[in-house]
Amino acid sequence: MANTVNTSSKYIVDYGEPVGMIAAQSLGEPGTQMILRAFHFAGIESTIATSGLPRIVELVDARKKPETPITYVYLEGEYAKNINKAEVVLKKISEVKMSSVVRRVLENFSKGIIKLVLDTQALKANDLTPGQLSQKVAKKLDAATKVDSDGNILIKLKTKKLTEVRSISVKLMKDVVHGVEGAGKAMLQKDTKSGEFYIIAAGSNTEGIIGIEGVDKSRIYTNDVFAMYRQFGIEAARNTLVRELVTTLKEQKIRVDPRHLMIIADAMTYSGFIKGVGRHGLSGQKQSVFAKAAYEETVKHLVNAAAFSEIDNMRGVTENILVGKQIPIGTGSVHLAIKKEDMQKVKPESKHKK
Amino acid sequence: MQAEVINYIKFGILSPEEIKKISVAKLTVPDTYNEDGYPIDGGLLDQRLGVIDPGLICKTCGARAKTCPGHFGHIELVRPVLHSEFSKVLYAILRSTCFECHRILLDPKQVQALTDASDTETQENAEEGSEQRREKHAAVKSGRKCPYCKAVQPKLKFSQPTYFNIGDRRLKPDEIRDMVAKISREDLELLNIDPEVSNPSWLVINSLLVPPVNVRPSITLESGERSEDDLTHKLVDIMRINQRLEQNINAGAPQIIIDDLWELLQYHVTAYFNNETSGIPPARHRSGRALKTLAQRLKGKEGRFRYNLSGKRVNYSARTVISVDPYVNIDEVGVPKDIASKLTVPFYVTLWNLDKAKELLATKEYPTIINMIARDGKRKRVLDANRDELLKEIAPGYILERQLVDGDIVLFNRQPSLHRISIMAHKVKVLPGKTFRINYCTALPYNADFDGDEMNLHVPQTLEAQAEARLLMDVQFQIFSPRNGGAIIANSEDGIMGMYALTQEDRRLTKDEAVYLLSLAGIYKLPEPKKDGLYSGRDIFSMLLPEDFNFEDKTSYGPVKIKNGKLIEGIITKDVYGKDNSMFIKMVMDYGFERLRDFIFTSSKLADAYATLSGTTVGVKEYAIDAELEQKRVDIIQNTFAKVNEFIAQYKAKKLEPFIGYTLRESLERIIIAELNLARNNAGDTLVKHEGQGNSAVDMAKSGSRGNVLNLEQMSMFLGQQATLSGGRIKRGYYTNRVLPHIPPNDIAPVSRGFVTTSFYSGMHPVELFMHAVGSRGSEVYKALLTGRSGYLYRRLSNALQDYYVRKDLSVRDVNNNLIQTVYGGDAISPTLSRFAKLDGE
Repeated sequence: MANTVNTSSKYIVDYGEPVGMIAAQSLGEPGTQMILRAFHFAGIESTIATSGLPRIVELVDARKKPETPITYVYLEGEYAKNINKAEVVLKKISEVKMSSVVRRVLENFSKGIIKLVLDTQALKANDLTPGQLSQKVAKKLDAATKVDSDGNILIKLKTKKLTEVRSISVKLMKDVVHGVEGAGKAMLQKDTKSGEFYIIAAGSNTEGIIGIEGVDKSRIYTNDVFAMYRQFGIEAARNTLVRELVTTLKEQKIRVDPRHLMIIADAMTYSGFIKGVGRHGLSGQKQSVFAKAAYEETVKHLVNAAAFSEIDNMRGVTENILVGKQIPIGTGSVHLAIKKEDMQKVKPESKHKK
Repeated sequence: MQAEVINYIKFGILSPEEIKKISVAKLTVPDTYNEDGYPIDGGLLDQRLGVIDPGLICKTCGARAKTCPGHFGHIELVRPVLHSEFSKVLYAILRSTCFECHRILLDPKQVQALTDASDTETQENAEEGSEQRREKHAAVKSGRKCPYCKAVQPKLKFSQPTYFNIGDRRLKPDEIRDMVAKISREDLELLNIDPEVSNPSWLVINSLLVPPVNVRPSITLESGERSEDDLTHKLVDIMRINQRLEQNINAGAPQIIIDDLWELLQYHVTAYFNNETSGIPPARHRSGRALKTLAQRLKGKEGRFRYNLSGKRVNYSARTVISVDPYVNIDEVGVPKDIASKLTVPFYVTLWNLDKAKELLATKEYPTIINMIARDGKRKRVLDANRDELLKEIAPGYILERQLVDGDIVLFNRQPSLHRISIMAHKVKVLPGKTFRINYCTALPYNADFDGDEMNLHVPQTLEAQAEARLLMDVQFQIFSPRNGGAIIANSEDGIMGMYALTQEDRRLTKDEAVYLLSLAGIYKLPEPKKDGLYSGRDIFSMLLPEDFNFEDKTSYGPVKIKNGKLIEGIITKDVYGKDNSMFIKMVMDYGFERLRDFIFTSSKLADAYATLSGTTVGVKEYAIDAELEQKRVDIIQNTFAKVNEFIAQYKAKKLEPFIGYTLRESLERIIIAELNLARNNAGDTLVKHEGQGNSAVDMAKSGSRGNVLNLEQMSMFLGQQATLSGGRIKRGYYTNRVLPHIPPNDIAPVSRGFVTTSFYSGMHPVELFMHAVGSRGSEVYKALLTGRSGYLYRRLSNALQDYYVRKDLSVRDVNNNLIQTVYGGDAISPTLSRFAKLDGE
C-alpha cells in the first residue's frame, strides 16, 4: 500500500491478499452484533423470513430447505396489470390444505367411517364443489366416498383399526386440495413503484409454479438456494446466495462489502454443487490431512489417511502452521530467485577499510 | 526465514518389522519403579526409553533428561489383537473379498470399469478420490457369489468395536490377519490400499509400540509420591493381562479362560488407543475420572492439534493492563520501562556496524545489550563481570540482543482476535508506569476499553518480519477497515463531543483558550480573529486541516463544507469525524496516510481538551421532564392504548385482514407490536423537539458521541414494550394465559403483556419492573447464546476459506490451484480501498 492513494489502479487488491480469510473475518466479527429475532415490522416479507444470525448460518451451512422459504412470482403482460387476471394466477398457485376447507372431522372408529363437515365458504373461495373434493379423496385414499344430503363427505375406509383410522384422517387434513403443492400460502402484492402485481408465496416449489400460465419465468425468485439451483443452475444459486447474504446483513444494518460475500458464495459453488462451509462441506473435503484433522473429527481423518496411505502436500495454511513453516499466502507466497550465472558475479567484499 | 523444507508427508501404518526396528527395548515387567525409586529394567519406565529424572542418563543415547529425545520400546503380545480404530477399514476389506479364495468380489468387467473411472478422476482431485473410494466399497458390497471360485459368501457380522462374527463363530484376530494377508496386491489397490505402506495385515497387532517416557512423564507430588501418566497406567494394564494370558496358556488352561483373557487384552489395547471408543466402557482412574489415552490427546480444543500445533507459545512477548494516553500517537504504544528493558531486538553485527555494536555492548545503563549470541548460536548473558571479555570476543556474524527503545516496531494484540486489525504494528514509546498506553482512537479496532483489559505485545525478531510489520501492519495503514472500507480508527465519545462543541456556529474563544488548544496540537500560530477580538471555534478546527483541503458532505446533522482548509459550514459530528466517517477517505486520497494519522492524533488531543474546557457535562437534570412534556407523555400512551383497543375490537368482530402466512390472532399481535413501537418512536421525537438545544444529553445523542434518542426516551418518557427471547410480547406465566395473577385471563392489552409506561427516571411500578426484568434476563441469556453461535460460525468460515488468495492475474485460487473467482469480486477492487462498499452496491 502506497502512502498516497490517488489513482484508480491503486484500488486494485494486493497480490497474495488472503481474501478468503478476510471474508471470513468480515462476516464473523460482526456476528455478535446481530440481533436474533427482534421486532421488525417493515413489510410483509420481513415479518415472515428468518433473519439475522440464524439466517446467515442457514445459508452458509447450505441447508437443503430454509426455515422460511419465500417465492416471489412476477407476472407477464396483462396478468401483471389486471388485478382480476392476477388473482386467477394467485388461486392456481396458493396452496390450500384440506384442513382449511373442512370445518370438522368426525371419525366413526367402529364402522371405519370418516365424516368431513365442509366449510362451504372456504370451498367456494377456492372454486371447489363437494363432489370434486369427494372424488379427489376417493382417488387419494382408494376408498369409497359419497356426498350426503347436507353436503358433507362420507369416507368408508377399508380398515376399522383405531390407530389407522386416526392416522388416515390426520394425514388427510394435510393433503393439498388446491394450488401448487409446496408453494405455500400465497398473497397478491402490488409493487409501489411500477404498479405491477406480483405474488409472494410462503413456499419454494418453483418447479410447480413456473409452468403456470401468466407467470414470468425469467423473474421468478425464491430465497431457497437449492430450489434456485434445481431450476436455474449453479450460477443462479451463487447469485441467490450473495443476494440473500446481502439482504440479511442489510436488514441488520451491518455494512459488509459484497465482495466478501461473493467469495463465500463462490467458494460454496465453484465445484458445480452447493457445499456448506462445515465439516461435511468445504472444510471436510480439503485435500490436506492435517487441515482436516486440525478442524474436526481429528482421529477419523488420521485413521483414514493411514489406511489409504494418503499424502499431505503441505500446501495449505494449517499444515504449514502445524509444522512451523511459513504459510504460502501473502508475503509467504513470493520468493527471491537468482540465476546461477549471476551468482558467480557476486564477489565477497574484501576486508572493511576504514 | 525458512530453513527446512518439507515437501510432503505420507501417512501409513507401522509394520511389525518397523516396530522392531525402532524399538530399543522389549518390555516385560508390568511395573514402573522399584522400591529404591529407580526405574525397573524391562519395565515401562526402562531407562533405555529415555529419562525424565534429572541426574539419570539415558541408556540408549547417553544424554540427560533435557536433551534425550526419547526412544520407543515395544511389548510382545502373546495373542494378537486388532487395532480398534481401524476395525471399520478391516470390515470393508473383508466384506469386499471372497472368504475362500480371498479375491475381490468383482468380475473382470467391473474391475475394468473401476480402473477406467479412477484413471480419469482420482488423480486430480483428492476430494473426488474419497468419494470414489466409497463408491468402490459400495459396488463391491453387492456381490453375493465369488466370481472366481464361485463360493457363496457367508454373512459377516461386525459389531463395535472389534467383533467379527460369521454366524455364531467369532473370527479371531489371527484368522483375520491370515485372511487379509492372502488378498493379492492388485485387489488391494482396487480398494485404494497400498499394501507397501498400509498393509491391512499390520492392523492385527502382535508387537505393541510403547512411546518414550518423556511422552508420558510421571510427576512427583509434594508428598514424594509418584503419579504416573494415564498412558503408563493403561500400558501397565495391557502388560498385566498379557502376562496372565501367557501364564494361562503355558499352564494349559481351558480354552474359555484363554479366550476371556484374550478379549480382556483386546479391551485394554482398544482403550489404550481410544478410551472413548463406542461399545466399550471407558477405562477409569482410581478416582473415577476417565483416562486420557492416545486419541484423547489429539482430539478437540485442548488436544494436540488445536492447542499445541495450531497455536504455539512464543518468546519475546509481554502482556499487561492497558490504559489511555491521548499524548501517545495512534501508531505508537507506551511501553513500561520494566518491559522495555526485558524485551530485546536482535542487532546483527556486521563489518560495517562493528563499532556501533561495541559501543552498545559497552553501555551499562538502560538501552544496552542483554545477551550476545555467538556464531555457533550459543547465547551468553551480558553482565558487568564479563563485559570486557565479550567486547574482545565480538565479531561480525554475532548477534546482540538489545533492549527495546523508542521507535522499535512491535506487534500489539487484543484477544479475541476477531479480525486482522486485532493485531497491528505500533512504534515503541518507553514510558514510566506499569501499563501499556494507547491512543483512544486505536481502542476501536481492538474493541478495547480500559476497565482492566490486558493486551499482548510481540517483538518481531527478523529484519523481514520487522519490515513487513512496518510496511503492512502499521496502524496508519489500518485506518480503513477491510470489512467495508470505512474508517475504523477514529475518535469517539469525548472527542466527538469536543469537536461538536467547538464547531458550533457561534462558538467564540478567547486568545488564551485558542493558544492553549492549538499548542496542544503542535500549532504555534493563530487564525485571524473575528471583529470582537475573539477566535471562532471553526477557525481553530480549520487550523488542523491541510491548507488546501476541500470536502463536502451531507450528514444526518446537516451539510458540512470545508473549502481551502477552512470549515465554512456545518458542525463536526460522528458522520464526518467518528467511526465510518466520510472525511477521512477524502483526506487520505489527497494527502496520504501519514497526514491523516497526524490529523487524528492532533485533533483528538484538541477535541478532548475542548470538551473539558467548554464544561460540557450531563447530569440528572438532563433527564427530568417538565409538566408539559409529562402531559405529552401521557397523551402518547393514551392515544396508543386507544388505537390498540380499536384493533382488538376489530379483531373480535373479525374485521381484521390477516397477514400472509399468519393466523388472524398472530396478525393482530404484529399490528399491536408495531403500534407500541411507533409510540416509543413518537415519544422520542417529541422529547427531542421539546428539549431541543441546550440539553447536553440530546447533544450527545445528536453528535453521535454517546447514546441515542431511544436511550433518552427510555430514561425520560417511558420504557415501552419489553420483549422476550423470541421477539414477541411477554405472554407466558399462568395456565390461564396471563403473565401475573392479577391480570385477567386472556387479556392482551398492552400493560398486561409487558408494556412499561414509566421511565427509568420516574421509576417503575412493581409489575412494570417485573416485566422489565423479564426482558433484561431474556437479552442476557440471548447474548450468551449468540456469542457461542457466532464464534462457531467464524471458526467454520475461516477454516473453509483460509487457503484462498489473490494471484498475479487477480484471480482467486486456493493453494491447490482450484479457481474460485476469475477476477476477485468481479472488479478486483480491494474492499479496504473501496468507497463504494455499500451493501446495495452489488
